[in-house]
Amino acid sequence: MRVGKLPARKARILALRYLGAGVVTLLFLFPVYWLFMISFKTPDEIYHVPPLWIPGQIQFSNYYVLFKDGDVLAILNSLIVAGASSGIAIVLGTLCAYSLARFGTGGENLAMWIISQRMIPPIAVVFPIFLIYVYFGLVDGYFGLILIYTAFNLPYVIWMMRGYIVDVPLELEESALVDGLNRWEVIWKIVFPMVRAGLMATSVFTFVFAWNDFLFALVLTRTEVITFPVMLTHYFGGQSNFWGKIAAMSVLGTLPIFVAVSVMQRYLVRGISLGAVKG
Amino acid sequence: MTLSASLNGAEQRRPSRLGRMLEDRLPYLIVAPAILILLLVGLFPLIYSLIVSFQRITMTENDTSFVGFLNYAELFRDARLWAALGHTAIITAIALPLELLIGFLMAQLFIDRMPGRQLFVALLVLPTVISPIVAGATWRLMFDIRFGPIGEILSFIAGEPVRILWTVNPAYVYPAIVICEVWQWSPFMFLLLLAALSNVDQSQLEAAEIDGASYLRVLRAIVLPAIAPVVAVACLIRGLDLVRIFDIIWALTEGGPGSRTETISLYTYVQGFSQFETSYTAAISFLVIALLTLITTLVLKRMELAR
Amino acid sequence: MADVKLSGVHKYYGNVHAVRGVDLTVADGEFAVLVGPSGCGKSTLLRTIAGLEDPDGGAITIGGAVVNDLRPRERNIAMVFQNYALYPYLTVNENIAFGLRARKAPEIEIRKRVSEAADMLGIGNLLQRYPRQLSGGQRQRVAIGRAIVRKADLFLFDEPLSNLDAQLRDEMRTEIKRLHHEITTTMIYVTHDQVEAMTLADRIVLLRDGKIEQQGAPLELFEQPRTGFVAGFLGSPSINLVPATLKTSGGCAAVVFQSGGALTLPSARAKLLTGADGQEVLVGIRPQHFSRAGGGPLRDGVVSYSAVADLIQPTGTRTFTTIKIGGVDAVAELQAHDVSSHGERIDLAIDLNRVVLIDPASGLVIA
Repeated sequence: MRVGKLPARKARILALRYLGAGVVTLLFLFPVYWLFMISFKTPDEIYHVPPLWIPGQIQFSNYYVLFKDGDVLAILNSLIVAGASSGIAIVLGTLCAYSLARFGTGGENLAMWIISQRMIPPIAVVFPIFLIYVYFGLVDGYFGLILIYTAFNLPYVIWMMRGYIVDVPLELEESALVDGLNRWEVIWKIVFPMVRAGLMATSVFTFVFAWNDFLFALVLTRTEVITFPVMLTHYFGGQSNFWGKIAAMSVLGTLPIFVAVSVMQRYLVRGISLGAVKG
Repeated sequence: MTLSASLNGAEQRRPSRLGRMLEDRLPYLIVAPAILILLLVGLFPLIYSLIVSFQRITMTENDTSFVGFLNYAELFRDARLWAALGHTAIITAIALPLELLIGFLMAQLFIDRMPGRQLFVALLVLPTVISPIVAGATWRLMFDIRFGPIGEILSFIAGEPVRILWTVNPAYVYPAIVICEVWQWSPFMFLLLLAALSNVDQSQLEAAEIDGASYLRVLRAIVLPAIAPVVAVACLIRGLDLVRIFDIIWALTEGGPGSRTETISLYTYVQGFSQFETSYTAAISFLVIALLTLITTLVLKRMELAR
Repeated sequence: MADVKLSGVHKYYGNVHAVRGVDLTVADGEFAVLVGPSGCGKSTLLRTIAGLEDPDGGAITIGGAVVNDLRPRERNIAMVFQNYALYPYLTVNENIAFGLRARKAPEIEIRKRVSEAADMLGIGNLLQRYPRQLSGGQRQRVAIGRAIVRKADLFLFDEPLSNLDAQLRDEMRTEIKRLHHEITTTMIYVTHDQVEAMTLADRIVLLRDGKIEQQGAPLELFEQPRTGFVAGFLGSPSINLVPATLKTSGGCAAVVFQSGGALTLPSARAKLLTGADGQEVLVGIRPQHFSRAGGGPLRDGVVSYSAVADLIQPTGTRTFTTIKIGGVDAVAELQAHDVSSHGERIDLAIDLNRVVLIDPASGLVIA
C-alpha cells in the first residue's frame, strides 16, 4: 500500500502516537511477560533476590511437573466444560433470539426478564444452587458445571444474537419461505450463515466466560472435575506458594484463550461495541 | 438457482398434520429450552433462597419454621457486613473512574488512522481475557516484597529501597487491588470507547475543524455527547461487575489481612461455605440482589430521561 | 476574497490514483463547479483544497499563499457538507455561531452576523430549534448559514443538494445562485448532477478519472465540447451518438450511415474536414437539434429527415420521441403537439450546424 507523503507536522504527530502506543502496550504487557518468565525459570531464579529480569535459560521443568502430576487434566476439563456450555448456549440462545426478533415472542416482558437474568450476581445464587446440586447429585460432575455455565451464558447470547438477527434483511427469509422452505430450515440454512460473524464474536465471549469462571467451579466441584482456575488456587499455600507451578499453569490456561481471541479478534471489537451500542 | 430447485421437487411438499402443528408452535418451541434452563438456574434458586431466608437453617440446626424478618434484621446489626459493603464501595468508586479515564485516553491515542493498529489492539486485549485468578496471581507475584519487580522499580525511582508488603499492609492493600483491577479492565473500556469514538460522525468533526474549534471545544460539544450512551452502558456493566468482585480479591489477598479487603461477595461466600449459615447467607444474597437491582434501575431511569 | 490555484495536484488512495495532476485556476469571486461521474476525483479534490486530505503532490494556493501546510482552520474557508454535519446537541443559533465562538469573536458581533445570515436564508424563526426538528431543506440552510457567518475567503460545497428531493433541490439551487449574487465570494461546488453544474456555474470543470476533461463557461462546454465524453455528460437527455463514415470530395462533406442514408454537412463545416475522407465518426446529435419540419425552405445546414416515431414521452411542453437514425435509436426533443402517436411518420429537420463529430478511437471531437 502506497502511503502518501505527509506534511512534517502530521508525520511528527503520527510518530509520537506510535511511540505512545508502544509504551502503553509495553506497560500493559509487562505483567504478562513477567508471568511467562517465571514459568520458564528454575526455583533458584524465581526466588532470587533481587528479581532477575531475564531467565538464565528457557527451561520447561515447571511445565513438566504439571504434566507428570496430571494437573494438566484441569486444562482438559476446562476445555470440555467451556466448549460444551458455549456451544449449547449459542445454539439454544440463537434460536431463542430468533423467536424474539422475528416473532416478538413474549413481547417486551420476556425480553426484559432475560436481560435481567444477566444482572443476577453469581454470588447471590451460588449457595442455593449448591444445595440443589447436592440434592440432585450434580456436584463434582461435568453436567452440573456445563448446565450452570450454559444458564449464565444464555442471556448474553440472546441479547447479542437478537441484535445480529435483526440486521439480517427480512426479504432474504421471506424469499426463502416463498421458495418453499419451512421456518426451521430458514433458520438453519439462511439465518445462521448470515450471522456467522455474530456467532463467532459471541462464542468467544461465552467460552472465555466459562473458562475463566472461578466461583461456580470452586463451589460445585470437589476432586473429580477440577477446572483450571481452581487448580491454580491449589498452588497457593499458607506458608509458601509454588510460583513455578502457578506461572506454568497460568500460561497453559491462558494460551487457549489467547488463541481463540486472536483468531476471532476481527469480530471482537464489533461484538463488544454492538453490545454497548445496541444496549 | 433458487433454493427450491436445489431441494428437488420439494416445491410441492405438504407438511404433515404434526409438522404443521409444530410449525405453528415454532416460536414457542424454540424459545422453550433456553427459557427452561434460565428458569431452572435463575428463578428456582431465587425462590428457594427467598424461602430459606425466612427460616433458620444453619450448619447445626435445620429449623424450617418461619421466623419472619429475623435474618434480615440481623443484617443491620452485622458490623462485618457493613464493613464489607464499605470495602466494596471504595473499590468501585476508585477503580471505575480510573478504568474509564485510562480507557478513554488510550482510545484517543488510537482513534485516528494508524496502520498496524490491529496488532496493538490484539495485544492490549490480553489483560481482559485472562482469568481474574491469573491476574490476581500475577500481581501478587509482581508485588512480592522480596522477588517482585514492582519493589525493584519503585526502589530505582525513589533512589532508596522501597519495601512494601502490598498484599498484607492495610495501607497498601487497596491500591494493590485497584491497580490489578484497573490493569485488567482498562482495555475493556478502551475497546468500547474506541468503537464509540469511531462512530462519531466524521463530517461533524470536519465541520468543526474548518470552523476552527479547539480540541477541548470539539470534545465537549461533539464527541462527549455522541459517546455518552456507550459510556453509560459501559459504566453500568463494569460498575456491577466491580460490586460483585470476587476472583481478583481471592487471588490477591483472600480477603485479608483479616477481613480488611473482604468485599460483599467474599463475605457472602464465607457465611455460606465457612460458617454454613444457610439462612443468613440467603438473606445476604437478597440484600445483594436488591442493591444491584436498585443501582441498575436508577441508572437506566437516568438514561431514559437523558434520551 | 481570494482566488484559488491548483498546480500539479496528485492524490492516491492506497493504490488508486484518484487525482492525476490537476492544474486549475479559479478567479476571485468566481463560482466554479467540479462535476463528473462517481469516482472522478471531484470530492477528493475539494477535500484537498479544504485541507481535510493532504495531496501527494502539487501545490494549493488560496489568495496567493500556498496553503499545503496549513490546517483547514487556518485557511479561512467555509464548507457545506452533503449530510449537513450540523451539531445535534446545539440549537440552530449555536450551530451557526459555532465557528465564531470558537474564534473568540465578540458576542455583539456574533449576534449581528447570525441574525443577518438567518434573515438572508429565511430561517430567523428557527434559531431556537434543534437540528432533529428541522426538515432537510431547513437543515441545509442552517449549514449554509454556518458557512456564511464566518465571512470566509472561499466557500466549498460538497454535493450539498444530493440528499434533497427533486423539488427541494430546485429551490435550493436557486437559493445558492442568489447567495452568490449577494455575497460575491469565490465558491467551489462539487456535484455529479449536470443540471446543477450548468445552472450554477460561472465555470464548469468537468473531471474524468482524476483529470480535467474540459473546463469553461457552461454554454461553451455544451456547444463546443472537446471530447465525446463532455458531449455525452452534459445535456439531458444525453446526446445521441450515431456511427457513420465521413465522406469528402471537392468542397463537400457528408456523413454516411452503415444502414444506408446520408446527411450532407453545411459547406462551412465541410471546409474544415478536407482530408478526413473515409474516417469513422460518431455523429453527436442533441435531442434539441431535431425539430419538426415546418414545410417551408430549410436554412443552410439544416436537412430534412423522415422518421417513424417509436416511443413517445410527453412532459407537458415538450415531447421526447424515440426515432431510428443511422440504424440506432435516438431521442428527439419536439414540441408537445408535433407528434401524437406511436408509429406516426413525421418529417424532422436536423440542424447540422450544431452537431458534433467525434472520433470513436480517441474520443476527441473533430469538428
